[in-house]
Amino acid sequence: MDKKIAVYICTGCGIGESLDVDQLSTLATSECKASVCRNHASLCSPEGAQIIKDDIANEGVNALIIAACSQRVMYDVFDFEGTILDRVNLREQVVWTHPAKDEDTQMMAEDYLRMSGARMQAMLPPEPYKPEQEMSTDILVVGGGITGMTAALQAAKAGYNAVLVEQEAELGGFQKNVSKNVVFPFKDVQANEIETLAAFVKSNDKIKVLTGSKVEKLSGGPCVFNATIKQNGSTSDHRIGAVVLAAGWKPYDPEKLDKRLGYGASPNVVTNVQFEERAKSGKITRPSDDRALKTVAFIQCAGQRDPQHLPYCSSICCFTALKQAIQVKQQDPKTNVFVFYQEMRTPGQGEDFFRKAQSEGVIFVRAQAPEVLASGSKVAVEAYDELLGDKILLDDVDMVVLATGMVPATAFGEDYKAKKETDETEKKSELVASVDSIFVSDILNLEYRQGPELPELKNGFPDSHFICFPYESRRTGIYPAGPVRRPMGVSNAMEDATGAVMKAIQCVELTSKGLAVHPRAGDASYPEFFMQRCTQCKRCTEECPFGAINEDEKGNPLPQPTRCRRCGVCMGACPERIISFKNYSVAMIGDMIKSINVPEEYDEKPRILVFCCENDAYPTLDMAGLRRMNFNAWVRIIPLRCLGSLNLVWIADSLSKGIDGIMLLGCRHGDNYQCHFIKGSELANIRLSKVKETLDRLALESDRVRFEEVSITDYAKVPAMLDEFAEKLAEIGANPYKGF
Amino acid sequence: MSNRVDPNLIRELEEFGLKDANKCYNCGNCTAICDLATPENPFPRKMVRYVQLGQKDKILKSPEPWLCYYCGDCSLRCPREADPGETMMVLRRYLTSLYDWTGFSRKFYTSEKFEKKAVAAVGIFVGIGMIIWAITNWSMISWKHADINTVWSTDGIEKADLLMAGILSFFLLTNLFRCVKLVMGEYFKKVPLKMYYDEFKYMVTQFLTQRQFGGCKTKGNRARWIAHLAIMTGYATIFLLVVVFINGLPFMGINFLKFQRSWTSMGGRTEVSIFNPLRLAGYYSFFAIMYGTTYVIIARLKKWQPQFKNTHSTDWMFLILLQATAVTGILINLGHVFDWVFFTYAIYVIHLMVAIPMLVLEVPFAKWAHLAYRPVVLTLMKVKAKYIAEYEPAKEGAALAPEVAL
Repeated sequence: MDKKIAVYICTGCGIGESLDVDQLSTLATSECKASVCRNHASLCSPEGAQIIKDDIANEGVNALIIAACSQRVMYDVFDFEGTILDRVNLREQVVWTHPAKDEDTQMMAEDYLRMSGARMQAMLPPEPYKPEQEMSTDILVVGGGITGMTAALQAAKAGYNAVLVEQEAELGGFQKNVSKNVVFPFKDVQANEIETLAAFVKSNDKIKVLTGSKVEKLSGGPCVFNATIKQNGSTSDHRIGAVVLAAGWKPYDPEKLDKRLGYGASPNVVTNVQFEERAKSGKITRPSDDRALKTVAFIQCAGQRDPQHLPYCSSICCFTALKQAIQVKQQDPKTNVFVFYQEMRTPGQGEDFFRKAQSEGVIFVRAQAPEVLASGSKVAVEAYDELLGDKILLDDVDMVVLATGMVPATAFGEDYKAKKETDETEKKSELVASVDSIFVSDILNLEYRQGPELPELKNGFPDSHFICFPYESRRTGIYPAGPVRRPMGVSNAMEDATGAVMKAIQCVELTSKGLAVHPRAGDASYPEFFMQRCTQCKRCTEECPFGAINEDEKGNPLPQPTRCRRCGVCMGACPERIISFKNYSVAMIGDMIKSINVPEEYDEKPRILVFCCENDAYPTLDMAGLRRMNFNAWVRIIPLRCLGSLNLVWIADSLSKGIDGIMLLGCRHGDNYQCHFIKGSELANIRLSKVKETLDRLALESDRVRFEEVSITDYAKVPAMLDEFAEKLAEIGANPYKGF
Repeated sequence: MSNRVDPNLIRELEEFGLKDANKCYNCGNCTAICDLATPENPFPRKMVRYVQLGQKDKILKSPEPWLCYYCGDCSLRCPREADPGETMMVLRRYLTSLYDWTGFSRKFYTSEKFEKKAVAAVGIFVGIGMIIWAITNWSMISWKHADINTVWSTDGIEKADLLMAGILSFFLLTNLFRCVKLVMGEYFKKVPLKMYYDEFKYMVTQFLTQRQFGGCKTKGNRARWIAHLAIMTGYATIFLLVVVFINGLPFMGINFLKFQRSWTSMGGRTEVSIFNPLRLAGYYSFFAIMYGTTYVIIARLKKWQPQFKNTHSTDWMFLILLQATAVTGILINLGHVFDWVFFTYAIYVIHLMVAIPMLVLEVPFAKWAHLAYRPVVLTLMKVKAKYIAEYEPAKEGAALAPEVAL
């Protein structure tokens, strides 16, 4: 591409009053090699945008540098087809955060323009990735329960073909064995309509139902997945676009429960799941002798919210107990029903259902550790009732129902990494990041280098981050929904299925156009590997948070671009710097660093380079600007796609350029991480700790580099953070490489 | 020691009129709003929990139901419409039946049929008795003037009255004794007699003025208190006049108090002067009872306030008998004044057929019994508090432990 660069400087929003725009224009022509340079008082206005459009049409400019506001605003206005674009953030991070008509402010604006010029020189227009194989937009749904069936039906309704894989002979999943359930508006128990749903699914000609089947192998990536499905002894291959994982849950093993709950000591102590089996068979009776029930006790949180068992709340057991209690009461109102609970949790309008149970005459007992005294068919419950302030004994109980919780289907099987480490005596990679647990649960059987199933987030659930990104997993194009994602009931599972299918549709639509999915949805660039120089170090395959890179027997990386989220973690990891994007590369950032004008030591103008995550840290700085908070004038900011794409050579580049200090601003990592790419900031921190060792060895102060975690609400803290770093650097003294 | 749950208690109480106690989620708003609940004796939340958990023994020992005057604030405030005030009312009925060792009370409360039959049986028995008495005395009867004494001598009536009062007191006092023992629990034997004696005056004051009732600050409570006081004073006055002093207790030489006088003793007149204090007291009783019962009947029919919303069959029976007694009583007086001979005699029989079942059945076994339980339990609580302050100061603060405070 023959670049014809044009620089547009907006003088609105205070930029014109603060800066010497003529000086900037001169710089644009001399250092950015701009053939066109124009100013306008309001570039984002229709007239402003028209100037640019006219230049594209008449002057043939195709590489635009827009020096105005932050890249996070007005992106829809500055969107011109057939051009490449770079934005210089003069507003939020220069004039709104620094004094007007000031020498340092002007120097900062000029540096940013130079950096943009350097970036523009290195930038190429991205070409969307087209795989060689034929692409499919079919959606594979794994699991034929209420979630899976809803997902398949929703996909079909939206016009996509669905393949529904169910391991059992009939559709229905757990709900198949449930006689009554309770859904919105939670007023009463109602008949289970799973059969109707199953009939709908079976009769839909866009849905291919494969019962008695399982996924034996899943390889490839979004739009080019190859699913090998085994059904009744024979296997068939399917080309798949995206996957909805609705593998459901299994009840917690009651044999593992505390002895105080009495499971196993009497046939009359059953779990809520066993209760469903009894209810399905018709009349609910005393298990030991099928006599009519006189007194029934429900015990909530059996092995739940308990670090020894399931540490979490399964969220549906209170509903289930209420439902089952009402079922018992409706069978015979004379039956005495007691519910022993720690906290009754009926979120949302579920409160009405609690009222319903009360009005049916169910008695609720708040007790933290009720004890079931069982021997033979005789059962009693002893508990400290907090509302009475005394211990109570309920004897002659005919049936005790224990509320055991939900364990996701993905939480079973050996830990893949643990198994692999004992199998192979492979030398560990130098960098030690946290290891994702992957349980070999025999559900998806992925042919991925990093393991055969989805990595867990917590407690075996494969979600990626349940607040920010529901339905996302750490494997692109595979979206968990229903109780496999988090514990939930029928109503939520149906909602979940719909949401996950929406995600899957977005995935096939974007991927088939060669674009990235969430969180860089619509990005046309993708990483390219210059394989001749690869040393088979495996860092990229190890560190990719999404398992997008397979490898061959020799250890060569085999990138799967449709699985890629374009974060650039591989680019940061690669010691040979052979991974780059058309518009984002190690060399490009290196050029930007080199373009910074670093004053000589006696000028007493130190320079601090901030590598900044563009997802959270960069908007934090913008917000400081919006609030007109001043921050340190020595700072130069380079946004990164993810801090995980930080390549250590940039630290070396910066220090040899004479920059005095380097700060990395990334997201919180570890538990409750906030990284959009899961492990980016964690990896950057690890890499930084490595470089610090090297700096110390070279007698260069390691305090010159620093890592800070910020979240988007930390805008008030950031200026102090930068000032404090500047003070520390003043203590250390100037970079000895200055001026070389 | 765990407290055994009696899961059937709720259903047992349903027979006494319990309705919504299972809706309660124990928030304690009822206790917080109650003017009469104290840290030592908090209610109604605690009592409702006892009911839910089938804590029969704890209920049996509880003084709280007697400390409640059912102003209805709790039921109005209850966010679950669990009607805690009505639960307290049910517990009063239940306790009355538990204190009663004859088992009569339980039948009375739990079976409307039994109640009606018992009242009818006693009434008919009295009627037949009176007629037989009159027949055996036929020649002496005065048909010229209305003179009841010639048909049924005051002497005889007095003896029957006193006998009835004796039996009635026996039942009431034995039941009351059980109540005292249960409510005082371990303190029953500990507390010295003198302490009870010292609070006797308090009990009498409470009985006569119902000051505690006045403690409810709810709007509309004053009218209810006045109606209640009118019934109580009217009833007590007429009880003294017609049961105790009907013949002036001749053996005690207080003949001037004699309420029912003969034609001859009055010198050819049936009645003493209209300004005679005895006669005035009689009229007061009539008007007071009529005012009180009419107020309550209208209130219950119109369901004015929460406490009037649920009317048990025993409540109606009580009101009807009381009002009928007052009406027949005043008709006897009219018969005398206008000297309607047969009318007077006939209405006298009817009067006794109404009044005696009311006294014999309602006082020891049913609603009337609260006239004894309330002031006694109130006094016992005062005695107990005094004892604890004097002998067990350590326990004083313990009663305020947070988990029992509401």
